[in-house]
Amino acid sequence: MQLRRQPLSAPRPGDTRPAAQRLAVPLLLLLALQGAAASGGPEDSGWLQDAEPSSRLLSQAARAALHFFNFRAASPSALQVLANVLDGRSWVNQKKEYKFDLVFTTEFYSAEEGEKRLGKCSAQVFFRNEKPRPAVNVTCTQLVKKERRQEEDYQLYKLMKQLKSPLNAVSIPDSHGYIAPSLRPIWDLAFLGSSYVMWQKSTPFLHYYMSQISSVKQWKTNDDAIDFDYTVLLHEFSTQEIIPCRIHLVWYPSKPLKVKYHCQERQTPEEASGTEEGSAVALTELSNF
Amino acid sequence: MSLPQTPYNYSLTQPLYDWHPWNMKWILFFGALIGSGICDRETFSGHQVFRINIRNEDEISKLNRLVNSDNLKLDLWKSPSTLGHPADVLVPSFSLQEVKSFLEDHGLEYSVAIEDLQIHKEMDSIVKSYPHLVSAVKIGHSFENRLMYVLKFSTGKGRQRPAILLNAGIHAREWISSATAIWTARKIACDYGRDLVITSILEKMDIFLLPVANPDGYVYTHTHNRLWRKTRSVNPRSTCIGADPNRNWDSHFGGVGTSNDPCSDTYHGLHAHSEVEVKSVADFITNHGDFKCLIDLHSYSQLVMYPYGYTTSRVPDADELDMVARNASKAMASLSGTQYQVGSVGSTVYTASGNTIDWAYDNGIKYAFSFELRDTGFYAFALPADQIIPTAQETWLGLKTIMEHVRNNI
Repeated sequence: MQLRRQPLSAPRPGDTRPAAQRLAVPLLLLLALQGAAASGGPEDSGWLQDAEPSSRLLSQAARAALHFFNFRAASPSALQVLANVLDGRSWVNQKKEYKFDLVFTTEFYSAEEGEKRLGKCSAQVFFRNEKPRPAVNVTCTQLVKKERRQEEDYQLYKLMKQLKSPLNAVSIPDSHGYIAPSLRPIWDLAFLGSSYVMWQKSTPFLHYYMSQISSVKQWKTNDDAIDFDYTVLLHEFSTQEIIPCRIHLVWYPSKPLKVKYHCQERQTPEEASGTEEGSAVALTELSNF
Repeated sequence: MSLPQTPYNYSLTQPLYDWHPWNMKWILFFGALIGSGICDRETFSGHQVFRINIRNEDEISKLNRLVNSDNLKLDLWKSPSTLGHPADVLVPSFSLQEVKSFLEDHGLEYSVAIEDLQIHKEMDSIVKSYPHLVSAVKIGHSFENRLMYVLKFSTGKGRQRPAILLNAGIHAREWISSATAIWTARKIACDYGRDLVITSILEKMDIFLLPVANPDGYVYTHTHNRLWRKTRSVNPRSTCIGADPNRNWDSHFGGVGTSNDPCSDTYHGLHAHSEVEVKSVADFITNHGDFKCLIDLHSYSQLVMYPYGYTTSRVPDADELDMVARNASKAMASLSGTQYQVGSVGSTVYTASGNTIDWAYDNGIKYAFSFELRDTGFYAFALPADQIIPTAQETWLGLKTIMEHVRNNI
């Protein structure tokens, strides 16, 4: 599926940064990314290609690319997970930054038993030292036609509107892995929000899975959009730590996802805040390289 | 708090589940199992026993309302015949959430019985059912003084034989590991004399099986924190509890892939074998002196791995171990198509020093394997109950493949 190019729109309400600054940061990153994307051989900025890229590293880069893809698609009915890496090349420079060029297959996150349709993606992933989030350029085959996907998102949305707040569930799934069918849309939406966080936090050496929704602070559907404030427990490899992340997202079918988050980091003595306003509109300039 | 006296048989005749959609999967499972013979009888289903305090007549009627609600499928084990005595209610896994909500909404006091005792009960039951084949051997105790038992499967009539150890539940949150182990225990006992492969293995070797290698952690995941991993030992200079028992073994102890921070989930512990749970198993193996194979069960990621974990370098026996692991993986996929990747620990997941199979390999146990069972991250540690039997069944094929190779090569 080709990622739709969002038109640059007027500043959203609440976006208080001056216009010049809003453009300047993306432009700087634009230049940086162009520089990185142009390089491909050892003659350029000290990139050394790995002769035998480890399949583990390639898989991790592919997962990071997919988290970004899922976030940008903003479609809880069409979430993709990694199936297999078909082909991959990796480079590292003196600053220990990593670059990947990948081709991999995907399958539906919510695949029914026996439904094994595979999608195929190609991606370039750039893990830099300064910016925590990896820069991703990803293109995937269209597993589901856009109209059908939008329709299924809308069906999910209607189901979610029927859920009464406050939600009675404390953990999803419960200790025994049970997710009540009526709560399944919440799980998918939570995974969508978590995809943004997991993309942000991924490095060549740290990757994540969503373990459990440990609490729901707010579930508002009285306005048009779904306003969802929850805490998710991310399982971090290879440290094996469980990282609680508070996520607040706003979703409406076929609209970009708005998400804020704050993860509790055990490693540093004080809480490390990853709070960041995430809007797919503001990120458009970065995404299509 | 003592558990109810009525013994509970996890048998096919128990009329627990009917037409609830979630139940339908259980009915289909049991239906399929009947055809395959009684050796696949299910033993672990993830329900819990709630002990509810009844203080007045009003609470009795609330309890009756709860127990009588059709869709929850509750089973009243002990009714509150007189006020002041608690009621024990068996709650199936799909009703746990609703029951808790009901009890909390109506201000009813309750506590949940500890599930590890269900595993010990099942172990007792296996020993009682197959006394000529199975015995329980005490190998030590945990930090919080829980007994650690292995089941010994032997036709050797007291003579020491070369042995296999199936080790499970070393990481508390990996429930599917212990569930698979206890299913496997009954499977071994039942299939002896019926299945050629396991019978021939037991003619030559003893099998030891430890379903819960970290009982304190396991209990903690039921009472406090479902995602706890480590032991529950007290660290002298920290408020953080526990060490990672799979980093505590005396093999490159404290090396890469471990942490020296007691608050970390990969904290290696004060020194090698500082965790009494690890020391108990290590001493048991060393004192026995003739173990040929150790298989350590974990979750999740769907992997069959061999040493080393402390490095990506190959062990001398890598070719043979890789071949055996691949055959095991193929056998496991043959049942339901579940894919298990194969490789050494260090090159497949991450480097991890001081782990069980590195120590085993360095101490003469050539056939040392580590399994990561289902799934690949969707349910992760909280694997639903309806995947327990399929996981155990496919894992069984992998275990048999390895054990058969060991039997033929010692």
